[in-house]
Amino acid sequence: MNPAMWISKTGVQAQDAKLQAIANNLANVNTVGFKRDRVVFEDLFYQVDQQPGTQRADNTLSPSGVQLGNGTHMVGTQKVFTTGSLQTTSRDMDVAITGNGFLQVLRPNGEAAYTRAGQLTMNENGVLVNAQGLPLVPQITIPNNATGITIGENGQVSATVPGNVAATPLGQLTLTNFINPTGLQALGENLFQETAASGAPTEGVPGEGALGKIKQFALEGSNVQVVEEMVDMIAAQRTYEMNTKVLSAADNMLQYLSQAAR
Amino acid sequence: MDALIYTAMSGADRALRAQQVHANNLANIETSGFRANLEVSTAQALQNGYGYDDRHMAQTQSSAITTRSGTLKETGRDLDVAIVGNGFLTVQWQNGEAYTRSGAMNLDENGTLSINGRAVLGEGGPITLPENSSVSIGVDGTISVQVPGSAQMQIIDKLKLVNADASELTKNEAGLVVARNGDDLQADPTVRVSDRHLEGSNVSAVEEMIATMSLNRSFEMQMKVFKASDDMTESGNRLISA
Repeated sequence: MNPAMWISKTGVQAQDAKLQAIANNLANVNTVGFKRDRVVFEDLFYQVDQQPGTQRADNTLSPSGVQLGNGTHMVGTQKVFTTGSLQTTSRDMDVAITGNGFLQVLRPNGEAAYTRAGQLTMNENGVLVNAQGLPLVPQITIPNNATGITIGENGQVSATVPGNVAATPLGQLTLTNFINPTGLQALGENLFQETAASGAPTEGVPGEGALGKIKQFALEGSNVQVVEEMVDMIAAQRTYEMNTKVLSAADNMLQYLSQAAR
Repeated sequence: MDALIYTAMSGADRALRAQQVHANNLANIETSGFRANLEVSTAQALQNGYGYDDRHMAQTQSSAITTRSGTLKETGRDLDVAIVGNGFLTVQWQNGEAYTRSGAMNLDENGTLSINGRAVLGEGGPITLPENSSVSIGVDGTISVQVPGSAQMQIIDKLKLVNADASELTKNEAGLVVARNGDDLQADPTVRVSDRHLEGSNVSAVEEMIATMSLNRSFEMQMKVFKASDDMTESGNRLISA
């Protein structure tokens, strides 16, 4: 069969995958702490039919050869870890991270996960948890008579307890960073998991080293740019269309061939 | 059978192969940094000894690439670079070097820069970034990072940026650009990069679509000749059998 058909097929398939990533990005435009996905393509290996520089006659070398590409190939998706827009809220348990760090939470299976979504709340025991109810690591318990919770830029959590003039320190929020955050595995629910590609987690106090600071009364929005996604969507759709046109051109060629032969 | 049918066959074969080149270009229209492949056809005369030179076979050649720039797109990601004007980034390929314009760099778990799994080469070999809070890539490819606890940017390495004339370049089987003579290219200090940008492919959708249409019709015409040749032979057969 005409190889052009298979080549166009890879193009159509790639645009299909791209559209899926765009749809997911757009669906998460309002998800706190969401990082957009980017699909990375690469040209497939080339089939060398004739090597350039082969001997064609005495003292004559072929000046150029024949190299036929086999289409495109999706290398993978990359999470783009640029900072999303910060929005201020008036909730005392909303935190945003300005910088590279992640908050660490403990999953029910005992493994650690990392998140940038800072919509913290308390569970029934007063333990500070994320929006899905997973406790933060290190664990911080807020007494039930506490009022006015303060979270400092350095992650120090304190609250005023009745009968006490000075704020009582309750614990310390820590941040975790990775040498290659793009290598983290996205688990959904705004969570990321360590992988061999991300490197080992380095934990520290907010504001130290490469770790960002914590801002109370703020949330980090998703880093999806709507206009960018829409432009990408138009491009993906038209590329899909053009690849199907080549597909039908290749089909037409085969049709002419079968009509000519008897 | 008349030899005409084989001449028509070479034309049809050429159209099929050229179609593959254009299909590949169009499939990669969204591949960042992709350079379109060119396809040319040459006539090759067949000496048949009749004293009448009537058979010129078409032969496809495709190993050249176009080097015009693609469109730059701002991504805002620290490790994305696009080359402004001519030039290439250097990556490790097997035991040597190969060149690419796809500048979406990644880090591995040790902090080594790579593009699609191939190590990016600086002037001192593969580049490893220390733990940092920000990375910046200058217009000449200098990579500097801000190390925790320091307010100043520290220079780590410089990307090996090369340049060569399009006629001296070809692609290897992995789609990376290499020099036609197989030598490594020298670093060129005049190549400029733009950080936080990526370059799209340089495929022209219009050119590729027109080429596809024209090849489609060219193939159809070859089929008409094919049929004409068949009809002529059939007429001959009828004369004999009548």
